[in-house]
Amino acid sequence: MKILVKTLVTSRGYVPLATLIIFLILPLFLPTYFLHIMITIFFFAFVSQAWNIIGGYAGQLSLGNAAFLGLGAYGSVLLTYYYNIPPWIGGILIGGAVAIVLSLITGLACFRLRGPYFAISTLAIGEVMRLLFLNQRKITFGAEGVTVPYKGNSLLYFQFLSKVPYYYIALALMILSMYITWRIEKSKLGHYLVAINQNQDAAEAIGVNSIRAKQIALSTSAFLTAIGGTFYAQYIYFIDPDFVFGLGLSIEFAMIAIVGGVGTVMGPIIGSFLLRPAMEITNAFLGATYMGVHLIVYGCLLIAVVMLKPEGLIGWVGGLYQRLLKLLSKKDD
Amino acid sequence: MLLEVQNLSKRFGGLQAVNNLNFQVKKGEILGLIGPNGAGKTTVFNLITGVYRPDGGVIKFREEDIAGLKPFTICTKGICRTFQIAQPFREMTSLKNVMIGAFSRTSYTEEAKNKAEEILSYVGLAEKKEILAKELTTIDQRRLEIARALATDPKLLLLDETMAGLNPKECDEAVSLIKKIRDGGITIIVVEHVMRAIMSLSERIIVLDYGTKIAEGEPEEIRSNENVIEAYLGEEYRRAIRK
Repeated sequence: MKILVKTLVTSRGYVPLATLIIFLILPLFLPTYFLHIMITIFFFAFVSQAWNIIGGYAGQLSLGNAAFLGLGAYGSVLLTYYYNIPPWIGGILIGGAVAIVLSLITGLACFRLRGPYFAISTLAIGEVMRLLFLNQRKITFGAEGVTVPYKGNSLLYFQFLSKVPYYYIALALMILSMYITWRIEKSKLGHYLVAINQNQDAAEAIGVNSIRAKQIALSTSAFLTAIGGTFYAQYIYFIDPDFVFGLGLSIEFAMIAIVGGVGTVMGPIIGSFLLRPAMEITNAFLGATYMGVHLIVYGCLLIAVVMLKPEGLIGWVGGLYQRLLKLLSKKDD
Repeated sequence: MLLEVQNLSKRFGGLQAVNNLNFQVKKGEILGLIGPNGAGKTTVFNLITGVYRPDGGVIKFREEDIAGLKPFTICTKGICRTFQIAQPFREMTSLKNVMIGAFSRTSYTEEAKNKAEEILSYVGLAEKKEILAKELTTIDQRRLEIARALATDPKLLLLDETMAGLNPKECDEAVSLIKKIRDGGITIIVVEHVMRAIMSLSERIIVLDYGTKIAEGEPEEIRSNENVIEAYLGEEYRRAIRK
């Protein structure tokens, strides 16, 4: 307790706390459209953080994480539709469990592969899931997609008429993922993942069971991503296989983490806070001009970041943050 | 006997890398493994540590056959090795490198850290614990490699050409470090090309040529063994004298 109070009077303590408080009171002032942008920022920070555990720390470039998101989304919507099961159980528990099973199959099939071969096989698994849900029309409604059965304002059914509850849930998910990642980073598992990433043979020689460590990382990532899928479905009210199982989404998870800085707790957060608004702004200002112009601008931004800061923006943003802390602590004295 | 290798064989395509090899390692000794390039020394290490699966034969470690087990299982059983070309986790500090080894015996980060610090000062890297592995000098990378292996609490340590590329003074330092480790109760097998070092280190030497054992004995016997001089030392010596 004493330590907590001591930390809170230094700039290292109160700056994050103040940031959190700002996020907590922000919905009181923000218009709906900006609230929506904030929700997508939190959402993408969350799922990208989930990707970061396997893709960043363990360095296993997964291009199939959308498969897990899709399972969480379809589990949520279809189980409510057919059996009236609330999304908390249908999407998060059951969808999450199925995502873990899929992650075990993925691990069994792919962890013996390295580098690009791993990436390609996970990509294939994502595509297989997409085609499966696209073609099982009798159950999944195929390419038409499904709409969330309307239940009104209901916490039980994860449906709210206002965006504000979604905002807080997304914020909580983002913070949860940061906490989980931080705990992993400090643990034996986190150290093992980084070691595997840097030199798998050397790691195995000194006692690291690399397949097991990677499997735990992938399953954790899968479960969290499935939660993200449930959130997405309940927020947007509509899902279809081409989006929730899409390769575009899988790449987006990776892209956000890479731009922010892989293998760090803050990387995906920074990436999402930069890329999502950039996407929205280019869309808002250029989306109505010529087809795809906003995507070209967005693409150029990505290229610029990757060329100028190949290790991600974390170093640069981290430096600025440290300077801010120093400035504030000088004022303290 | 700590380690007993019986009829060990390994073939790569048309090449018989290890051929019906038999040898034993006594507890507490330093065993030298020498032979010309391509004689199969590193392959023997890779077979013992589970990197390769033997085609035939038995590797008995403390009365248990470990042939064909995975590297990390063999490591937790108490055999650890270093690599011919140092394989540090390049972007990690020395401390973190050694912590990875220490984690094989504990799940607590704090405990692993304390143990790693202890071992770093044991091998003489205490001041460099916060330096990234890729920035260490060659000798320090070798030290780190040994430290990382020691952190797994091995009973048997396999050192693969620890002294390659070191100058004579550094070689002497390495020799005394290896002796210190042996005196600490760890049995060691050394593969080495630096003759001066291996002769002064080993109590017993095994000579390999084309995957077969051609001689075994104390350093003095090996030096005067006809087969060895012919297969290996002779050529090397002649070349050395000519220089």
